[in-house]
Amino acid sequence: MIERLHRIGRGMFDLLRLPLSRAFASEQNPLNHLGALTVYFLWIILISGIWLLIFFRTSVSAAFDSVEYLTREQWYVGGVMRSLHRYASDAAIVTILLHVIKEFVFDRYRSVRWFNWVTGVPLIWIVFPLGISGYWLVWDELAQYVAISSAELLDRIPIFTDSMAGNFMSDDVLSDRFFTLMAFLHLIGLPIFLVFGIWLHIFRLNGPRINPPRRMMAAVMICMLVLSAVYPAVSHDAANLAMTPQVLRLDWFYLHVYPLIQIWSPGWVWVLLTGISAAMIIMPWAPAAKKMEPALVSLDFCNGCKRCVDDCPFGAVEMVPRTDGSSYTHEASVSANLCVSCGVCVGACPTATPFRTRTALVPGIDLPDRSAAAIRQSIISTAEPPSAEPRIMVFGCKDDREADRLRHAGASVITVTCMGHLPPSYLDFVLSRNHAEGILLLGCEDGNCNYRLGAEWTEQRVARERDPRLRKRTDTARIALGWQAPWSDYGDALAALEAFRATLREKLSRDESAVL
Amino acid sequence: MKLFREVITYVVFAGLVGLLSVWPRYEIVDRKEAVISLTFSHAGQRIGECHTFTQEELNKLPPNMRKPADCPRERHPVRVLLRSADRVLHEEVLAPSGIWSDGKANIYRRIIVSAGSHVLYVGMNDSGDYGGFDYEATATIDIEPGRNVVVRFNEQLQQFSIY
Repeated sequence: MIERLHRIGRGMFDLLRLPLSRAFASEQNPLNHLGALTVYFLWIILISGIWLLIFFRTSVSAAFDSVEYLTREQWYVGGVMRSLHRYASDAAIVTILLHVIKEFVFDRYRSVRWFNWVTGVPLIWIVFPLGISGYWLVWDELAQYVAISSAELLDRIPIFTDSMAGNFMSDDVLSDRFFTLMAFLHLIGLPIFLVFGIWLHIFRLNGPRINPPRRMMAAVMICMLVLSAVYPAVSHDAANLAMTPQVLRLDWFYLHVYPLIQIWSPGWVWVLLTGISAAMIIMPWAPAAKKMEPALVSLDFCNGCKRCVDDCPFGAVEMVPRTDGSSYTHEASVSANLCVSCGVCVGACPTATPFRTRTALVPGIDLPDRSAAAIRQSIISTAEPPSAEPRIMVFGCKDDREADRLRHAGASVITVTCMGHLPPSYLDFVLSRNHAEGILLLGCEDGNCNYRLGAEWTEQRVARERDPRLRKRTDTARIALGWQAPWSDYGDALAALEAFRATLREKLSRDESAVL
Repeated sequence: MKLFREVITYVVFAGLVGLLSVWPRYEIVDRKEAVISLTFSHAGQRIGECHTFTQEELNKLPPNMRKPADCPRERHPVRVLLRSADRVLHEEVLAPSGIWSDGKANIYRRIIVSAGSHVLYVGMNDSGDYGGFDYEATATIDIEPGRNVVVRFNEQLQQFSIY
């Protein structure tokens, strides 16, 4: 049932990703940086907000005028800053929404990833009040509507002895202290919780990306500036509690629920909001994902080199004092609660070498469900005998069904858990032992790795920039990195294979001529 | 070509953000309508009489628990009725707040009415006797379109005000 929902969701997500994947190179595709883009929008909001704060006056009579001054008199800076503040806040809702949908449809919220998912729910509960409280501060007709409707909503919580909405019935009743309270919430209280919440959301990740690529940052900034210049944010008429606002330009990103307060009732809106939140919180266990066995440390072969700790995308491996009396000072220790069984630690382990023959192939750290020895055996058993056509061995991620289909296109296909699972010595093994003439690594593109960092680490290892490095004798021209979006279809994988086959054929022919 | 597509994507994104931040417009009330806001926080009377302790009863109590009288905490619900001429605009029995039902009864209701002249009547009962009203007020008021007429109970004066 849940897999079907994921599949349907991926189909719908395709409607967006297809045009975007045509428009952008993988590293510049905003869909690959949704979390980082949200943080970037928060930076824009923070900086523009500081400018607005300098000129904002926190009183009933002066709040509206100070915002009008910024918008009309100081339009060249204050007006632009106000519009940036507004539109970056709206854009953050778009990226948050897409981030949530993407993590759901690609099933990246269950198993040990429940923590990142669940800690994201309170973040949504902070972001919306943060945006909504900003609308109160303008104190125009929209603010009046938002203030009264919010008070109606809060009145439904049975902890207040007096009706809060009743405080907005006349200008005489409303005091400046109300603006001081709102300013505190908007400027200090909620942002502090937001920063703490973001830290909690990502603190289990190793090397989280909180900044999008610079080119994307520049493009987004230009985009927001142009929007601010062409269509600056403006206020409604000043709030007048003796009158009721009749027609409003609602910001639907933040205020979409507000009409329901009148159409349904505040109570039903609470049922809706808490119901959605509760459903999101229990989703990682409804049903729980099947968990693979976590990585296993074999102390006989672990020399405490710490590479697995550096490369683990989820911080599941740590170094602890040696427990076996060995002369090495430390050993790797895996936290089963954090391990997603991606195998990136095995790819980082220098003892995971297929050339070992005198003893059994047991690396310092290994995946019980897809061991280093099993991968070597797959290479040997899958290799085709030499022929006129160059033989290509494809390594694909286990979640990439399209790689598996390349068997029908004349390639040997071996699956690993994640491309980062494959130690570079295996590439040397395939080529030097003549199991194939070329290797195609068909993994998920950077930013879309099902387990995080697999593509990045593999690229660096093959480029000999990261330990364990590919041996110098290995001809990197015979290795192709075919990074794909996890949603790629068979055509993309086949095209990558055919393109590599053509290049390889040409290279081998050139090499042969050179020898002759 | 790739750059052109990127630019188009960002333009569409900006357009979407700009558009949904103000559109579609939301009509709260029709241009020929107005709003009556009925709001107050009022505690109903206690549900029973206070029991004054006799000296004999006080002597039986531990010294730290002796007090002149024992009053029940629970309060009566508050019934409110708002009419325009003969048309009932709102009628509700409000439960007291608090887990012991000893707090104030709160109400805030927005009632949309057509603009024009209205004879407003509001009645409130806080004694639990629903045969009549303990507090009443009537006012003839000419309501212009978009006006927010407030009907609230003034706790200090113990009377309704309509303005």
